Amino acid sequence: MSDHVPTPFILDVGVLTDIARGDIELIGLMQDYDRTGQPLVISALAAAGALLDAEGSEASALLAGLGAFEHAQVAAVDGVEQAALLAQMIARTGLDPWNAHVAALADLATCPILTLEPDVWAEPSAALDEPLHVIAIADPEQ
Amino acid sequence: MSDNKKRITITVDPHLAAYAEQLVDAGKAESVSAAFNDAMAAKRRREQHALALLRERAAQADPHRVARLRKHIDAQARAQGFQVSTGE
Repeated sequence: MSDHVPTPFILDVGVLTDIARGDIELIGLMQDYDRTGQPLVISALAAAGALLDAEGSEASALLAGLGAFEHAQVAAVDGVEQAALLAQMIARTGLDPWNAHVAALADLATCPILTLEPDVWAEPSAALDEPLHVIAIADPEQ
Repeated sequence: MSDNKKRITITVDPHLAAYAEQLVDAGKAESVSAAFNDAMAAKRRREQHALALLRERAAQADPHRVARLRKHIDAQARAQGFQVSTGE
């Protein structure tokens, strides 16, 4: 039996916003990851933040479809203990609640954050005891 | 809806159980079981519609660009000590 267990990728608000707006390359990328069994984590709060910027029934349907992928998991804030961790993350990093939940999930589970804007994460990451792992979604040919 | 039913035991929120009974009383559902069956069927339809929409968009993506993006992401993940799906 293989001991190869892929580490889940956590999608930040910017990625979810562009998916909700119908970015075909990002959607194609997520589908390719799901096809090959790469776990993806969608913060429910980050999805709410994304839908503030990308309104409409199609936007929410696209995020619902992403959440319905076989290897995608939607993570909610479950209980007061997790709410307290989220509040702590907001206070320490100055992030908005949407991306603070992404950071809290990444920090708790030691998973990388997929983002289109890695620079945005530099300051919040520096405010934590252990820096966040951030991965840029970028086309090296562009 | 299928005629072939499977018996299961479920635990639900009291207000949703009350709502299902209300639907039966109002003649809008044949039974409490039918009400929950319909709700799950509707959820499944919504999910399938959402997946179909996403797959339709994904089909328009440039596979070469997707492969480049993925290669770049996977390389960063491995450089930071994470395992990623192999794509096989």
